[in-house]
Amino acid sequence: MKNVTSIGVREKFISSAQNSKILARKCKDCNTIMLATILYCEKCHGKKFNLIEYPGKGYVDTFTIHTVPPEGFEDVESYAWVVFTVDDVLLRASGFLPGIKKPSDLPIGSEVEVNGFDKKHGLVLKKI
Amino acid sequence: MESVCILGAGSTKYGKLDESIIEIALTASVDAIESAGISPEDIKAGYISNVFGVADKQVHMAPVIMSNLGLSHVPGLTIESACGSGSVMFREAFANIRAGFYDCVLALGVEKVTHTGTNQSTTLFSYCSDFFYEGGNGASFPGLFASIARAYMTKYKADEEDLANVAVKNHENGLLNPKAHVRKRITVEDVLNSPVVASPLKLYDCCPFSDGASAVILCNEKFAKKSGKPYIKVIGSGRGGSPAAVQGRKDISTIPGTVIAADQAYKMAGISPHDVNFAEVHDCFTIAEIIDVEDLGFFQKGKAASEIRDGATSRKGRIPINPSGGLKSKGHPIGATGIGQIVEVFEQFTGQAGERTIKNAEIALTHNFGATGASAAVHIFKKVN
Repeated sequence: MKNVTSIGVREKFISSAQNSKILARKCKDCNTIMLATILYCEKCHGKKFNLIEYPGKGYVDTFTIHTVPPEGFEDVESYAWVVFTVDDVLLRASGFLPGIKKPSDLPIGSEVEVNGFDKKHGLVLKKI
Repeated sequence: MESVCILGAGSTKYGKLDESIIEIALTASVDAIESAGISPEDIKAGYISNVFGVADKQVHMAPVIMSNLGLSHVPGLTIESACGSGSVMFREAFANIRAGFYDCVLALGVEKVTHTGTNQSTTLFSYCSDFFYEGGNGASFPGLFASIARAYMTKYKADEEDLANVAVKNHENGLLNPKAHVRKRITVEDVLNSPVVASPLKLYDCCPFSDGASAVILCNEKFAKKSGKPYIKVIGSGRGGSPAAVQGRKDISTIPGTVIAADQAYKMAGISPHDVNFAEVHDCFTIAEIIDVEDLGFFQKGKAASEIRDGATSRKGRIPINPSGGLKSKGHPIGATGIGQIVEVFEQFTGQAGERTIKNAEIALTHNFGATGASAAVHIFKKVN
């Protein structure tokens, strides 16, 4: 894969998520780390990167529990949409965490892990 | 560079409307043209903002509206920028007058979604998110703002009552607006006892889905003076962007695009936030208004909740916010909202705001953004005596 291309990046991100990883790019010029789906370096606008798979573990920055879910999620009894920071990296991602019924089930800072990528529900998380 | 003025303004009622999207658009357009006292032939371009025309079986909105106004030869441009479409479109109209391309244009925002029902509307709105990371992972728009609310509340120790105070204040203002969608007085208890939509946001923390259209006539000052009609001046304009996905923001309790747009607008106007006498801000959810008024520089970060509780943003407060009722009470026809805010400023500065009038106001600000702030615009207006 070329350093700067959008072709196939999402598929690679999904493939990594299916292996419980988060695919990121590390800028060769300034070492900024971004999700792999962002093409140019957000900090220095560089074009050269190393693709790195990070373990998909992190902690919850914020979340919500939907009472009125959007289309495609009506079949899920209760879930949280979560923004989390990947462990040891200044990098955030977000995903779908089933089974969360009330806010006290998921205190801010709770540890979560990527648990695959579902065709219907996107990046799936689990609480650890 | 030309000075840019607003010479006329018009708006339909916001709410559940029976007419087609084109009929709604034409009603607001005619109101604005008559308010300006101009002839349709004076309009040299039409700028139209709309998001979900497809829900009413109509896209390519601008030429269709111009044709139905009998102005098929006048170039039209349709602009979509989610809930910020109106202000983003206004900026383009402003820039074209300022650059001297046209001396008089129509800027019209229109939306019709209520016929789709809550579930489909919620789904349509989720398409305005960065869908791969947000809508596609189960985040609705209330859900996205709920996650922002939780981040803000955690960082600044705010609580659900702080959110409720925004809704109560805006509903109080909306009672005085005959075109508001939800004209109903509510209490903090009403908000706290309303059903949870996406925790911690409840039903009364959320603006309604609305139909409606708003239009203004922009022109250069020579044209405005020649008309002999009352007008106001646009003295500042700014645009900013934020990461489209909430996860991409270093600080989830701020909206970077607002800060950038406000900084540009203040510099162009040569003023500071303390010079603003009132503001119409993007309160799609109660948490949004709290963050907006901090990002716009009216209050320090983390202080807005206590200022709102103490009445600083009420109609008689230090900096009245959303005297129209805001999106929360006036309503949120998303393609029209940014223009509706400017209609409120025009009415305030031309003696048409009735009991909503903010006394002795000379400078006003409008702030509107798309999605969770990915595209933001700030405009500043001056009363012409």
